[in-house]
Amino acid sequence: MLARRTLGRIASQPPVGAAPAGARNMATLREIELRLKSVRNIEKITKSMKMIASTKLAKAQRAMQAGKQYGVANSEVFQNAPAEEPAKRKLFIVISSDKGLCGGIHSSVTKATRRTFADKEAGIDADSPIMVIGDKSKAQLSRALPKNLVMTFNQIGRDIPTFADAAGVADLIIKSGVKYDGIAIVYNKFVSAISYEAAIMEVQTEDVLKSAPGFKAYEMEDDVTKDLAEFSLANAIYATLVESHACEQSARRNAMDNASKNATDMIGKLQMQYNRGRQAAITNELVDIITGASAL
Amino acid sequence: MSSVTWRNVFTYNKYTQIAARAVRQSLKESERVTAEKRGLTALRYQQWENGQGGQQVHLNPPQEK
Repeated sequence: MLARRTLGRIASQPPVGAAPAGARNMATLREIELRLKSVRNIEKITKSMKMIASTKLAKAQRAMQAGKQYGVANSEVFQNAPAEEPAKRKLFIVISSDKGLCGGIHSSVTKATRRTFADKEAGIDADSPIMVIGDKSKAQLSRALPKNLVMTFNQIGRDIPTFADAAGVADLIIKSGVKYDGIAIVYNKFVSAISYEAAIMEVQTEDVLKSAPGFKAYEMEDDVTKDLAEFSLANAIYATLVESHACEQSARRNAMDNASKNATDMIGKLQMQYNRGRQAAITNELVDIITGASAL
Repeated sequence: MSSVTWRNVFTYNKYTQIAARAVRQSLKESERVTAEKRGLTALRYQQWENGQGGQQVHLNPPQEK
């Protein structure tokens, strides 16, 4: 009984070292003002990033419509000459980019790659080589599947990807001499201006094409088949690069749009808090003055 | 037909890039400027060994002015 009363007395005294109550409210007002200023700056920045991303998106979508035709042309040959058995050792080419602030673009392709590796049904070799385009996915995959990384590329995606980029990548892949039975390109498929999903495009190698029964109907020489395999790799890389680029711009626009909306909400709430705090401080001062005046 | 020996030296993609560059450089001035943009690439690549990255290499080294 005595102990409970002592505890109550200790709790009612203010903790040692605290500033007087009025001073603490003023300090909080200053803090709110600083936060308000910084959130306003952030809102301006995210709004301008959203504008830039919208204009880039329009251009990227036009390039995507044109670039998809390259991938479609490829798939026609592969459909008429399908491989007899699924490839065991596939080369994975992961398409992402170097810049951030674009939502879940990079992690979506990384997750799709990891899922394919973890999937027992697909029967992919555990030491299948991976090549990554873009620094963001490179960082993620170098932590998840470091032993499988063979080569990485960057400086693509600053502007609309060109066929020269795709041809350069295809060239380096072929010259690197990595062994594989098939190629799987992991990229982001453009579903709509507000959504995308990870997808895989399969490309066949020269040997698989030559052994496919449907391919005999084309009656091509060996040299030309090698050219076709190299060219279709560049085609597929180009088609996936432009589509991923369009997805990235749309994701960046959506992310910056959400950030601007959140920032606007925060500004509203902080402004309310600031005004209330300001009015409370003024009221307290008035009360002090009036009680002081009434005492004289 | 002359024996096609370029296949021993470079790939078909390199062959098309060289031919495209020749065509672009031969265009009229106004078309050439728009076409040049389509041939630009600033690609850099890096070989990886056992989870360790190697040196970053420029595919087309930037020209020193």
